[in-house]
Formats: sequence, C-alpha cells, structure tokens
Amino acid sequence: MPDIKNYTLNFGPQHPAAHGVLRLVLEMDGEVIERADPHIGLLHRGTEKLAETKPYNQTIGYMDRLDYVSMMCNEHGYVLAIEKLLGVEIPERAQYIRVMFDEITRILNHLMWIGTHALDVGAMTMFLYAFREREDLMDMYEAVSGARMHAAYYRPGGVARDLPETMPQYLESRWRSKKEADRLNQNRQGSLLDFAEDFVRRFPGYVDEYETLLTDNRIWKQRTVDIGVVSPERAYQLGFTGPMLRGSGVEWDIRKKQPYEVYDRVDFDIPVGTNGDCYDRYLVRIEEMRQSNHIIKQCIDWLRGNPGLVLTDNHKVAPPRREEIKADMEGLIHHFKLFTEGYTLPPGEVYTAIEHPKGEFGVYLISDGANKPYRVKVRAPGFAHLSSMNEMAQGHMLADVVAIIGTQDIVFGEIDR
Amino acid sequence: MLAKINLYLKSFLFLELLKGLSVTGRYFFRRKFTIQYPEQKTPISPRFRGLHALRRYANGEERCIACKLCEAVCPALAITIESEQREDGSRRTTRYDIDLFKCIYCGFCEEACPVDSIVETNVFEYHFENRGENIMTKEKLLEIGDRYEAQLAADKAADAPYR
Amino acid sequence: MSDNIKVTINGQEIETQPGRLLIDVADENDIVIPRFCYHKRLSVAASCRMCLVEVERAPKPMPACATQCMDGMVVQTRSQKAIAAQKATMEFLLINHPLDCPICDQGGECELQDVAMGFGDGVSRYTEQKRVVMDKNIGPLIATDFTRCIHCTRCVRFGDEIAGMPELGATGRGEHMEIGTYIEKSIVSELSGNVIDICPVGALTARPSRYTARPWELTRHAGVSAHDCVGSNTWVHTRHNDVIRVVPRENESINESWISDRDRFSYTAIKSEQRLTQPLMRENGDLKPVDWETALNAAAAKLNEAGGSVATLVSPQATLEEHYLAQKLTRALGSSNIDHRLTQVDFSAQQNAPVMPWLGRSLASLETLDAALIVAGSLRYQQPMLSHRLRKAVLKNNAAISSIGHVAGQYNFDMHSELAGSASRVIHDLASIASALAGVSGKALSPRLAKVTADCEVSDQHRAIASSLAKAANVAIIVGTDALPNPQLALLQELCEAIAVAAEATLGYLSVSANSAGACLAGALPHRAAAGVAVDAPGENAGEILSARHKVLLTFAANPLLDAPEAGSLADNNDSIIAISSFDNDFIRRQADLVLPLAAVVESSGSYVNVEGLWQSFNGCVHSRGESRQGWKILAALGQVLCPDEFTYSDSLAVRNELKTLCSDVELHNLCGIQSKAGGLPQADGKIEKVGCSPIYACDDMTRLSAPLQKTPLMQLQSAVIMNRQMAEDAKLLGCDQVQVTQDKGTAVLPLHIDEGVPAGCAWVPSGVDAVRDLSAAYGKIKLEKVS
Repeated sequence: MPDIKNYTLNFGPQHPAAHGVLRLVLEMDGEVIERADPHIGLLHRGTEKLAETKPYNQTIGYMDRLDYVSMMCNEHGYVLAIEKLLGVEIPERAQYIRVMFDEITRILNHLMWIGTHALDVGAMTMFLYAFREREDLMDMYEAVSGARMHAAYYRPGGVARDLPETMPQYLESRWRSKKEADRLNQNRQGSLLDFAEDFVRRFPGYVDEYETLLTDNRIWKQRTVDIGVVSPERAYQLGFTGPMLRGSGVEWDIRKKQPYEVYDRVDFDIPVGTNGDCYDRYLVRIEEMRQSNHIIKQCIDWLRGNPGLVLTDNHKVAPPRREEIKADMEGLIHHFKLFTEGYTLPPGEVYTAIEHPKGEFGVYLISDGANKPYRVKVRAPGFAHLSSMNEMAQGHMLADVVAIIGTQDIVFGEIDR
Repeated sequence: MLAKINLYLKSFLFLELLKGLSVTGRYFFRRKFTIQYPEQKTPISPRFRGLHALRRYANGEERCIACKLCEAVCPALAITIESEQREDGSRRTTRYDIDLFKCIYCGFCEEACPVDSIVETNVFEYHFENRGENIMTKEKLLEIGDRYEAQLAADKAADAPYR
Repeated sequence: MSDNIKVTINGQEIETQPGRLLIDVADENDIVIPRFCYHKRLSVAASCRMCLVEVERAPKPMPACATQCMDGMVVQTRSQKAIAAQKATMEFLLINHPLDCPICDQGGECELQDVAMGFGDGVSRYTEQKRVVMDKNIGPLIATDFTRCIHCTRCVRFGDEIAGMPELGATGRGEHMEIGTYIEKSIVSELSGNVIDICPVGALTARPSRYTARPWELTRHAGVSAHDCVGSNTWVHTRHNDVIRVVPRENESINESWISDRDRFSYTAIKSEQRLTQPLMRENGDLKPVDWETALNAAAAKLNEAGGSVATLVSPQATLEEHYLAQKLTRALGSSNIDHRLTQVDFSAQQNAPVMPWLGRSLASLETLDAALIVAGSLRYQQPMLSHRLRKAVLKNNAAISSIGHVAGQYNFDMHSELAGSASRVIHDLASIASALAGVSGKALSPRLAKVTADCEVSDQHRAIASSLAKAANVAIIVGTDALPNPQLALLQELCEAIAVAAEATLGYLSVSANSAGACLAGALPHRAAAGVAVDAPGENAGEILSARHKVLLTFAANPLLDAPEAGSLADNNDSIIAISSFDNDFIRRQADLVLPLAAVVESSGSYVNVEGLWQSFNGCVHSRGESRQGWKILAALGQVLCPDEFTYSDSLAVRNELKTLCSDVELHNLCGIQSKAGGLPQADGKIEKVGCSPIYACDDMTRLSAPLQKTPLMQLQSAVIMNRQMAEDAKLLGCDQVQVTQDKGTAVLPLHIDEGVPAGCAWVPSGVDAVRDLSAAYGKIKLEKVS
C-alpha cells in the first residue's frame, strides 16, 4: 500500500474564484475538504482607524469602498449612525431616495453575485446578462452622484443632491448614426425616475430569464443543492444575517423587524429558504431582487408626487445651498465651517444596523464630542459568513468550495476593512 | 406517479437545458448591446467626477482664491496648496497640486469651492507614462480647465438647480 | 469662606464670591457663553451684546460680561429667551459683515465664525446693501480690513489699557462707526502685534504672514523668545517645515497673554536671503562653498594649531548649551579668552560682579512695586514686557517709578521723576541720589563713596526721587542695559548697590539679549568657568579680545562689527577668523576665513535663562535651513575632533544636564560689594556727547534682517540722530534732513529727528545698525555737521 497523505492546498489569494483576495488554506483528504482555514487581512486599509482622524463627512467616501459592490448601503449605515447620535431630522423625500437607492444597490449587488457565482460554477452567460443590467443601474448611480460606483451620495441629513430631471444621452458620432443614438436614448428622454421606471418594468422579465437559465438547470442544481447546508440554529449561532440566514429558513430582515427610513411604509415580502443549502440561498436572492424591484417601483411613485427637500435645512449639519453661500453671510460661514471643521456630535455611542444586501451592516460609533469619531467599528456581514467557511466546506469536495464562496457572497473590502 | 414520469421525461429530453438555450439563442439573433469603446461612448452625467481642472473667469483671471477649503475637506489629503499675496494685493495660490494617486474622486473639493474654481471634468481617460506625472500642477489644471471650459460651463449650468 | 454666595447657572449650583462677573464664573465651570468684546485682560465694554443670558426676575436678558454675581441669582444661558437674544445679536452682527471668509486669514480661527456656527441662525434674512469701510494703512505689521470689524473695541481697549498708547479708536456712531488710527498714521507701539490675536474677526491680521496659511494647517511648537532677557513664552506655528507665525504662549508669571512685536515678527529673518546655508572657506580672498567635513577639519586644524592663542566671542543670544560648549572648547584648548559681554566697556570690577546678574525678584512681582528706580535703561524698547509690568504697577499701585537715563519721555505711564543726560551725567545723578538718600534714610554712605560723591550737587529732583525710594516699602532698583557700555560701569554698579542698600530695595540687572544670564552660568566669561567658578588665570575680556592679536578668533553667532562697539581693527589683529553664524553679514564677508553655517533661533534646541533665573528649554521647531547645523552640534563635533573623550553628547539635553548638575548650588545675589577704582566722579566729555543704544529692532542679526520690523515707524524713528530743538538750533542743524556724525576717525550719515526727550548736551545716535558701523563707543564726544 502506498502512503496516502493529506494535502494542504493553498487556494488564492490570486485565484479567480476567490472573489478578491481570499486566501484559503485547505487541508484535503484526497479531494475532500477536512479543514478550510480562511486567511484575511490582505485588503486591510485601516478604514476604521482612518475615520478617527477625519471629520465625520470625510469618511463617507471610504464607506463606499468597504463592500465595493453595494456602495450606497455602506454609506447608509454610516450616515444613519451619525444622524441617530445627532438627532437630526431627515426630509421624507430623502428617506424615499435612500430606500430607492438601497434597493437599486441590492439589485446591483445580487446581479454581481449571481454573475460571478454562476461563472464560478460554470455558467458563463449569466455574467454577461447580469452585467448588462448593472449598466443601467450604474447609470442611475452616475446620474445622481456623478460616480458609477463610489457615489458618496448619502450625507448626514439626507442625500447630496436631488434626482436629476434629465438623463444623459448617447451622442451621435461617426460610429453611431442619429437613428441608432435615438434608439439607445429611447428610455432616457425623461427624468431619472422615468429611466428607473423603465428599468423596473423590464427587470422582472430579466429575472425570469435568469431563472430559466439556472433554476431548473441540472448542472446548477448538482453544484448547489445540498451544498453548504446550514441549519437555522447554526446560522443563528454563526452570526449569519441577510440572505445567508434567510436561506436557512429564518425570517429575519431588519427592514421589517426594525424598520428604518420609510421601510415601514413600503410593501414587500421576505423570502426564506427551507434547506439552508446554496440552492436555497440562490432562490432567496433571486426573490429578493424581485422584491427590491417592487420597492423601487413604490418609491418612484411616491417620489414623483412629492417634491421637496432632499437634505436637511439645518445648516449646523448640512451645508447650505450654493446660491445661499454667494449672498448670505450665515450661509457662507456655515459652508466654510462645515467644509473645514465639520460638525460635532454630542458625546455618546450609537449602533445602527441596516439590511445590507449581504446581511446586517452595522456601524458602532463612539463620539467624545469632537468633530471626529472617537471610534468607528463596522460590523461587516461578510466577516461572520466567512468565519463559517470551515463548517460549511467540511466534507465537501474541492470544487464545492467555489460554490460556497459564491453563495457566501464574499467581498473582501468589507471583511478586511 | 404522473409527476414522476413527467420529471423523468423532462430530464431525459434535456427540456430545462433547451429552455435555457432558447434564451441565449434569442439573444444571439438580437441586436448587440455592446458599446464599441473607445469609438463609441456611453452617456456621461453632468455630475460626473473625472479628471480635475481649475477654471478661469471670462476675463482670463483664475478663479481660485487660495481659500484652501478643498485642501481641508479632501479626505485623502491629495491637494497641496501654497498661497501668498500677489502683487495686486489679491490672495492667490503659488502652488496647487493634486496627487491623482491619492485622490479618491469623492467630489468634495468641488462642493467646497466657493468660487467654482476646482471642478471635476467628465474626462476619465488619462494615463501617466512617467513617474511624477500623477501630480497635477496648477499649470496643468488650468490648462485642462481652459480646454474643457465650454463643457464645464454647460455641466455646471445643468447641475446648478440641484446644488 | 463665609461671605461666599451661591448662583445657579443652567441648574448648576455654583459657589463664588460676590461681585465676580457672571461670565468668569461660567467660564470656570465650563459653561459656554458666547462673547466678542469680553477679554479677561481688558476692561468690560459690554458693547457686543453677544453674552446675553436670562437672569431670573430681570426684565430683559443681561450681558454676562457686565453682570455681577449676587446671592441666589438664577441664570439660564440656553433658555429660549437667552437663545433668542443671542440669535438676534448674531444676526445683527452678520448684517454688515462682508462675505470674505474664503479670502480672510482669520477663517478657521475666527470667533465670529465659531459663534455664528454655535449660536447663530443658519440662514440670513438680510437682503439689503452691506456697509463698506475704507481700509487704512496702519503699518507694515498689521493688515487691516475694517469692513470686517464688528466694533467689539478690544483693540481700542488694548491700546488704552495695555499698550498705553491710545492709537486706535472708534469714530462715528451706529452704522458709521469706524475703528482706525485717529489720524492716518502707522501704529508705533512695541506691543501692537497683540491686537492681531485679540481681534475676534479678520479686521486685524498679521501682514508678514498674510494669505500664506490656514490655522488648521499649522503645527505649534513651544518656543522662548530670543531677543530680550524676559524670555517670553511663544508658540511657533509651522507648516511644511516653514515658520508661519509666532504667537504668545500664555504664562502668567512671564508674559501673561502678550508678546512684543520683536518676538512676534523676528522669525521673518530666518527666511532672509542672507541666511548662510553651507560652510564657506576663504580662498584667494573669496569665500567658496565647501563641504562640512572639509570645513570641520580645517576649523579643528586651525584651533589645534592655535592652542592657547584662541579667543572666542559668543553672542549672548546663543543658548545655554552653546555657551557651555564654547567655553569648554576654548578652555580645552588652553585658553580662557572667551566672553559674551560684547557691549561692555568697563571690566574693572568683573571679579566682584554677581555670578549671574539678574532681576533680584520675580517678573510678576514687579506689578506689586511701590517705587522703582530705572538706571540707564529704555525698558520699553529693550524689554517691552518688563516695561508693561511696571506700567501695571503704576496703574494698580500708583507706584512711583523714576528713571535716570539718557533719553526722557519714553515711557507710556506716569513717571514720578525723570532725569536724562550723558553717560557721565547718569553717574552724577546717581551719586546725588545716593547722597540724598543717605540723608533721608540715615544710612551713611561708605567712606569711600562719601569721598567720591563729595562734590556732587543734589537738586530737589534728586531729593524727591530719594524720598520716594525711602518712603516706599516695596522698592526695586533696576539697572538697564544702557549701563553696560558706560565707561564707569563699576562706579555705576557701586552707587546702585549703595542706593539699593539704603532704600532697602532689590537690586536688579537687566541683560542684553535672551541669554546673558545663561552665558554667565555657563562660564562664557574670561574670569569664571561654568557655575561661576573663578579661574586661576583670567583670560582676555571682550574688549581685549577685540583689540589683541590671536592666532584664531572664533565668533559664535556674533557680529562684532555691529554687536560690539569697537571692532574696527579685528582683521588685522588675528591670523585667522572662524565664524559660526546663521546669517551672512559684512563681518563675515570681509573678515572671516572659515564660516560654519548655524541653525537660526527657532531651528535649534536649547535653553535660555531669563532675567529671573528661570531655565527654559525648547526644541527646534523646523529643520535647519540648507546645510546649517545646530550650534551645540557644531561645537560638539569640533570638540570631538580636538579632544574626543570630553564631547560625547547625544543631544542638547545631555549638555544642559551636565551644566545643571554643575550649577546645582549656585546662589543668586546681586549685592556683591562692588568697589570701583574711581577716585571721583567722571567729567563731561565734549560739547555734544553721544548717547544711544541699539534701536529696538537692531539688537541682533535676526531683528536686523527682519524686513517687516525694519519697515516699522519705530525703527525708522530710532535709526536717526535725535536731538532736542535747542541743541539742533545751536549746532545750526535745524531744518536739515541728513547730518554727518563724526566720532574718533569714523563718520556716519543719518537723518535728523527732533525730540525734546533727548537732553541738552547730547545727541542720540543709534548703534548696531549698518549706517553707524564706523563709529566707535556708545558714549563719547561727537561732532555733528550738516550734509551738503
């Protein structure tokens, strides 16, 4: 008999299926995982420490870069913490805009997830379709904030600017005839809301297509059904949140259980799984996209009928409008001070959590009364999920690790912070 | 019983795979979504935050008054300004550097500027070939501002109602 | 205490004394009340109305800065009524404020901004035209923008109450009120820079640092000012390794909240074009740049060869560590020819002189004086912060301050009596006072002094001064720095000691520059080593060093041509001159053979000992410019080459600690029983006698090279020949702009000013400025001629 040894396999950090810079040290018995040991820290940028050295607002841009596929949701968790400690009122319109963009972000995230997850498992086409839809969503991002990804759009007290009344257009050029440009611009004739509504109308059809491609697909099912099963009890114990928890059949959604902004005023359902395997989590996320689409539709309808402030007019927190700083001494002083020193938070500590596409994104913030946080701690959902890697992968084959990484929806920006 | 036969049949006939193929097949014959970059470009919002520029007034005078709000608000400490009193007594910069390697394109500098001097253009295609080119000096920034002034003015005007 | 009362502010019960101001009590208990016009060191104006608070049972909100605490008072600072009052005040203040924040230097440290942010409304309701006020030029130090003024009148009160020069004032009423100099002119106070600090808005800002930095960019370093013996505490604000400004560091026992303009603006010199940034060596008559190694080796070789024929002149501005190392190095070479007393002429009593001449009391205690006699000093221009203390004594205690000096009418407070005259006249006056005092106090003069003072005339004025000194309980005799160049210094000191003993007063010596006191402790003296230990064979004193021949003359931070009065023939006397200096000057250009660049004052770590004997250490605030190096490093490096075992210091602190241990049992006392060799009183010398000292901004190279200070009217005024009208008329000089001064063989051409403060028989001629380089001693006969 030849000597059979366990292999220790180094997976990543440069592996294309590792979703960023995950390094997994796998102890294998043949092709079966005995132990999976995720190594973290390769994308550590010290965001929390950086935040301690900057006025509150300046950290918003760094929040985008935590989970860099659900940018505005990260911002949301952060500004919510500031607002809670500050006790500032947010205009209703801003709340609706935030909810709308949270859901747009959720779809963005889930599209990214499904594209890469399916790609890892072997379904190339999904990636292309998902990214086609992401393009429209990113156009919405760009239209409101000026950036396709790192928006820095949410501000304590509301959002940076109101939704634009026009959408940028495709231009006619040597390579694009007028007719062609007009065709591309068809859904860009109105405001951002019109553009979003057009998307909302089309999107369920797209989701149907994804489902046609995957839900019944035997390869997809072979790779995901009964892979990475987590019982509801274990899911609780492991600190799962979001689709990971709901996939195990626990009905928990912060939007429903502890509603923030206007989530208590919009209608949506929480999908839950039954088996707690990768396939159930897939189904949950697919349904979440449909629910998000539904929420966006409701927000669009409300936003159409209710113009108004999108940023609080409390200038001790939010800078005045530009025309005010040109003619108004109070305005100029507040502008000057807010952009140099920022505002101070009353001493105290606060924890806020939002239902992030990946789970519970929490920000724990301590203020000592200065214009910078004394401490910021980000509770990244992905961190808890990654911690369960060993348990989820144990006994599975090497190829299933890829499916588990996919289903966990790992993004290293938020895990390493 | 019937369901079992049904399932067996479906599986045997690759029905779900064929359905999937029909989706991809339909797209195969549809018009392409692909944008032929760089010949063709996607639309760019007037709020877009790209390469920086310093603007001038119509009479050629630089707008920047060295108030340093942008320097103060820059989260990445990418902006370095030195200033002094110019001969005519006005407050002006002698140095205005933006390190594009540090910049995170958050747009706060543009928001902070009380005179609309530092702006972000919609230029996103630029590169460096030599070390040190990532530092945008005042001269370079003013030159970019001069080159894109028409576009910048239009963009600022389009976005003015929202700011 | 039983007479304590209780007031309640915002529900917090506070025990305090009756009659205290509400705003002070609130400040002590961390209750924030906004204010503009209130300043703890100025009188109460209650003009801005920002500090309105609600006082129970008072019909209207009351200004906290003008309301005294009464028993049982209940105050609300954040009640609806108080907030409404504060908001309304803020709105009114902002109505006429220009939208200048982005270009205003105050932006970021502006009290108006802070209070508007904290207590004002977020939006303006004012849409009408704003007021504009024409700007005024009030000199090269302070930039003005009076449109920004909110009429808090802090600057006006500062001028009245602290600077003693009511130069700024308010004209007009209501909207037409303007702050300005009453007549369009520049401010000539020596403390004027402080209005920049106290101005709550950007109406008064510093001109030399105008538009260069924002407060949030600045890093502050604790510093000690280097230009007088007071040792004012400062904050040196730097940005990117560049000194941007210097502001006062509060120290109740030294400089309170103020510093003089000299301490505030002298930093401008460190960026001057005359900074030395690399070692230079003379080759074929020209100074050529060399590297440090070459320069150090060359210096060491020269010093080694010279051995006992080395002489060292150290500037009294050098740090304690530098003084100590300079004397250690010189003495290690076998020479005791080291001195820092560059202005002194009469060294006859040096053996008996105090180990460390000092003030004899604390600076703060000057405020409590009942009477004082200032001998040969222009404190206002030489030690401005000290003069301020005396002014407080006059205002608070009605102290009787008299002065015997060379120029009258300098002080900004009421003098009991003022006598002015030539160097010999001062001795005569002192002698007269001493004999008058002997009569009043009943304490007879020593037989020797009695003989010397036998034929002096005692006038009523002398008697008045003597009786004022004898009557008062708390008396100080303060010998100023104008005494040092006096050819009869020993007699002067002897008389002052006699007066101090007879009046039961403290005797205080003021010293030139920041560290004369430290230099004495460190042993930068020919007759005493560190800690005042007498040496067996005293070396040459400053006067002898300047005139004798040496193989090597080492100058440290000194510019003998300007700092020492008689240095004309230095070059011919010495084989070789090694200059360690921060600045290029004529002395270096003409005479130095080897130049080692020295870090400037704010670039170097070290310690100063101030006039009350306080050791104050500081760190360098910025890197030294170019290749210049800190003085202790240069001297330690030279020492290591010459005697490797004795100069192993890792930092300036190690040097300081070594000296501190040596000085552990040095006792300070000024009454040392000095006996001069004089047999009688000196005779007047010539028809017109020169009196004078370094002008306020020419006390060292740093101030001489500070462009803004040189442009001040005060400096312009003092860089001239000053005579009274009668004298000028007698000399037929009245009406001419320029006069030629001839002293010994040297001549100088200076503008002429008329000032009645200069006594008859004297003409005030500055020293230490380039124009008078060829003149010699500070006192002596001169000839004045019209320049045709």
